[in-house]
Amino acid sequence: MRMLEKDEEEGDIQVSWQDQQNINTFSKHNARFQDLEETYEAKKTEKEYLDDLAMELELADEDEPVRYRIGEAFVSLSLEAAQERIAKTQGELDKEIEALKGQMDEAVEKMDELKKVLYARFGNAINLEKD
Amino acid sequence: METNPRGIPKAPFIENVEDHVTEQEPVEIVLRKFQEAVAKYKFMEVNMLQRKRNLDTKVPEIRKTLEMVQFLQSQAEEDESKEIETLYELNDTLFATAKVKPTGKVNLWLGANVMLEYPVEEAAELLSTKLEAALKTLKNTEEDLEYLRDQITTMEVNTARVYNWDVKQRRLARAKEEATGEE
Repeated sequence: MRMLEKDEEEGDIQVSWQDQQNINTFSKHNARFQDLEETYEAKKTEKEYLDDLAMELELADEDEPVRYRIGEAFVSLSLEAAQERIAKTQGELDKEIEALKGQMDEAVEKMDELKKVLYARFGNAINLEKD
Repeated sequence: METNPRGIPKAPFIENVEDHVTEQEPVEIVLRKFQEAVAKYKFMEVNMLQRKRNLDTKVPEIRKTLEMVQFLQSQAEEDESKEIETLYELNDTLFATAKVKPTGKVNLWLGANVMLEYPVEEAAELLSTKLEAALKTLKNTEEDLEYLRDQITTMEVNTARVYNWDVKQRRLARAKEEATGEE
């Protein structure tokens, strides 16, 4: 998304330092939002896999050790220990996902505010929408 | 000149185009200067993106290693003589079983073909410090990237405004010429 395709006919509106800062902040939040969205999606998929895994393990044989990946190697863990580790990771992921969601909402909110200000000032001379 | 904490100069904002374009510095030169500044910022951006990519792979690596060291730590706390049964990667996609007796020591790959033996506790500490440092650098790099984007946007707006101003000046001059020609 390009932030500033200024219309050629629009030469009369003076851009003030305040406007410039608003434009920059908008651009920044927009970029930030895209990065966050990417991480958010990745984390969500990870969480889904973990949820599936937890379900799957419910049905596993209690006496069979689970080969659990830590770092580059697999370690034999008791079913219980493996489930504990999964639950811990799930909890951590949940927190991360929540934090990301919060940051995304904040970015959207700021962008909406700035959109109002900037459209009021520049009208059609500025384009702040995603293509 | 104003800079950010890492010494990246701030892009000047043009308040009034008329004040900026002078006899000595006509529009062409001003625009060229702006373009040069944008090119410099873009160059820095590419470098920063590269650095961010490196960190993005480095951080999970440190995390993984730390996770294993912490696992060893927790095993030792539970039972000091407990063997760990593990499948380790002997070669690409080829795993072998190993039984590991706790030794209280690990070898960390420090890079440049150097490996060093650490007590598990120290290894965990070292890795945590490294992780923290890497995360801090990552945060700074992300900040720098946002800052650079700001500066690039400012310069692009500057360019658009000077260009539009020039177009308008030319149009006015032409209109004036035509008006005098008709008389």
